Amino acid sequence: MAWKTIDRNEPAFDADAPNVLSDAVREKIRSFFPRYETKQAALLPALHVVQETLGHVSFKAMTEVAEVLEIHPSQVFDTLSFYTHFWTHPKGKKTITVCRSITCELLGGREVLDAIKKHLGVGEHETTADGEYSLVTEECLAGCDHSPCMLINEKLHKRVQPADIPKLLADTDNDKLDMPRSTLFDAPADVASDGASVTS
Amino acid sequence: MAKITIDEKVIECRDGVPVLQAAIEAGWDIPHYCYHPGLSVTASCRLCLMEMQLPHPKTGEMGWVPKLFPSCQTPVRDGMIVRFDSEVVRDNQKSCMEYFLIDHPLDCPVCDQAGECYLQDYSQKFGNSKSRMVEQKLVGPKKDIGPKTYLYSDRCVMCTRCVRFTEEISGTHELCSVNRGARREIDVFPGMPLDNPIQGNVVDVCPVGSLLDKDFFFKQRVWFLSGTPSVCPGCSTGCAIRVDQNENTVFRLKPRSNPGVNDWWMCDEGRFGFKYIHDEKRLTAPTVRRGADTEEVRWDDVPEIVSFRFEQHVAKHGDDSVAVVLSPMMSCEEAWLLVKFIRGIAPAATAVTGFVPTVGEAQHFPVGCDAENVKFTILPEKCPNRRGVELIAERAGGETCGFDEFVKRATSGAFSAAWIVGGYPEAWVPKEMTKVVKQLETLVVQDIFANTLTAAASLVLPACAWVERDGSFMNHAGKVQPFERAIRVRDGAKRDGQYLFEISGHVGLYSGDHVREMMADEMKEFANIGDAPPKPVHQH
Ligand code: SF4
Ligand code: FES
Ligand code: FES
Repeated sequence: MAWKTIDRNEPAFDADAPNVLSDAVREKIRSFFPRYETKQAALLPALHVVQETLGHVSFKAMTEVAEVLEIHPSQVFDTLSFYTHFWTHPKGKKTITVCRSITCELLGGREVLDAIKKHLGVGEHETTADGEYSLVTEECLAGCDHSPCMLINEKLHKRVQPADIPKLLADTDNDKLDMPRSTLFDAPADVASDGASVTS
Repeated sequence: MAKITIDEKVIECRDGVPVLQAAIEAGWDIPHYCYHPGLSVTASCRLCLMEMQLPHPKTGEMGWVPKLFPSCQTPVRDGMIVRFDSEVVRDNQKSCMEYFLIDHPLDCPVCDQAGECYLQDYSQKFGNSKSRMVEQKLVGPKKDIGPKTYLYSDRCVMCTRCVRFTEEISGTHELCSVNRGARREIDVFPGMPLDNPIQGNVVDVCPVGSLLDKDFFFKQRVWFLSGTPSVCPGCSTGCAIRVDQNENTVFRLKPRSNPGVNDWWMCDEGRFGFKYIHDEKRLTAPTVRRGADTEEVRWDDVPEIVSFRFEQHVAKHGDDSVAVVLSPMMSCEEAWLLVKFIRGIAPAATAVTGFVPTVGEAQHFPVGCDAENVKFTILPEKCPNRRGVELIAERAGGETCGFDEFVKRATSGAFSAAWIVGGYPEAWVPKEMTKVVKQLETLVVQDIFANTLTAAASLVLPACAWVERDGSFMNHAGKVQPFERAIRVRDGAKRDGQYLFEISGHVGLYSGDHVREMMADEMKEFANIGDAPPKPVHQH
């Protein structure tokens, strides 16, 4: 068994680099505060906001989120790393999430995955050279009745066949949702519009 | 007091404690990892599960519930009936132990924790002798998580005690648990290492060999160590500690639980501050000055020399020319013997409370908490016994003063003879003392290292470190706490208590307890102190 050793005394980013969270993003995070008893409770919405605007939540971004929520960066890292949904390094413009759970597996999910890999020339957890697509797999997407299925960003593609892949990936609208997106992680409208009443 | 039934035995227990705590206090050996009496309860390790009787929802009849309950999370209730001695409970313990060892590297031969590891102990008592794991193990990385600590995540059982410590006790939040499931690990935020004044405790709370003290790393197998109950002399909090030594070398200090004083914790300054006791430069033999030279004298002659010198001095200059400077590093017993001796020769001598090293302000933990939530405090007074020596000086009657006052008066020539005690781990003699020593015709210095005072002294008596002595310290709150001798004095040296005992005209062996009994006649504070602080009810 080989030993893996990690030195945690060294920072993972340049602490003097300019801030990655704009004032607007910070304001948006703050607008969630009135929803909860503590600022810390706004951590998940905050992470969603950051990933939506920056595409991923870097270590630098984590420290800035911590600053806004007045918690320790390790607490942000703790929560964030629990969810595979959050990316700590840049991902492509669109993320393809292929289901690898049992129903899809039985109905040809693996072939779909292979076809995507072949078409894009990337492996799992990789991003294409042009930065267009990142490819990951996930457990059950809760779309077993349409297996094999996959997501492009948040759009669910049902009963995908390996042969459809080139056409599907070439389509620029392949991540367009055909129903309204959840607003759960949008800042409450009344509060957001009245930004002045929100204190940091 | 609630009465509960565990394994068909009725026990009385403190109200409100978890069943686990009650069972441990009553002598049961219940395996547990995540429960620690000083931390919040998470009930995540599932080792402590028990069976419990509850009324049947329909008939109301009491009966065993067909599921297990975490005993660490279930508070005792009067009349409660639980059991650990059952097939299901044992099965659960076995399965848990198997699970904890699934990815464990089984590297006990090179693990510092081996011998005091609760994975070893519980495997033997509650686990299996064989592993059924045939898959490839997930090997967690070994991490350098801070200047004083390593984290071997491959040995971790994910009890999160360490994380809760940095959250709830130190309040510094460095540690966190990252990822999920089998890949979950303890970590710090990269570049924000575990580095706070009480971080050493995370190594103590870790029930396994995952968090390791760099200072003790690969230094000694723990079964060669023997521990002596003691009190930390690092500050006036007076944390209860255990001195672990082998062959007269101290390898580490560990906190012992002492409710209301240090609970379960100690600070790093105290924990790692013992190194000076093994310094080669320490003084070991008594020396007298003859002109410009110094000469070693035999310990047997010391009582006579000091009595003679002070008697002569008093005859010549009167007894108010004498001062005795009691160091707050001394034990109460030593200070008492010394003051008695000096006052015996010079009844009008001034008893001075010695130099009190003070650094910064009190540090309260968790960092930034309000006064009622303080869990641990490091005090600015870097000596264990200021209150003790002050009290003894005061009770001895006659003239007393503080150190600054002494320096002032001595500089202007108020004293011509002094017995000055040091014993500080670090250089301490203030500059003004050079002027003071010029005024002193007779000077006895009792110190641990050579300094300007010992250079000027007519007689130098080597002082011993607290681990070589026994006696008691009175902490900032006035609590008298005895400590025991952990190691022998160096060759040629003698315990301070012993030579002060002899100088005071007593015969035989000095013992802190014995002297304390003598003191108790005059000072009730020292009556019935008993033994060193109680053994912790909860060992881990
Ligand atoms: S490092 Fe030790 S204390 Fe921390 S979670 Fe792992 S086993 Fe528990
Ligand atoms: S198994 Fe693929 S969506 Fe459920
Ligand atoms: S000690 Fe009770 S679940 Fe861990």
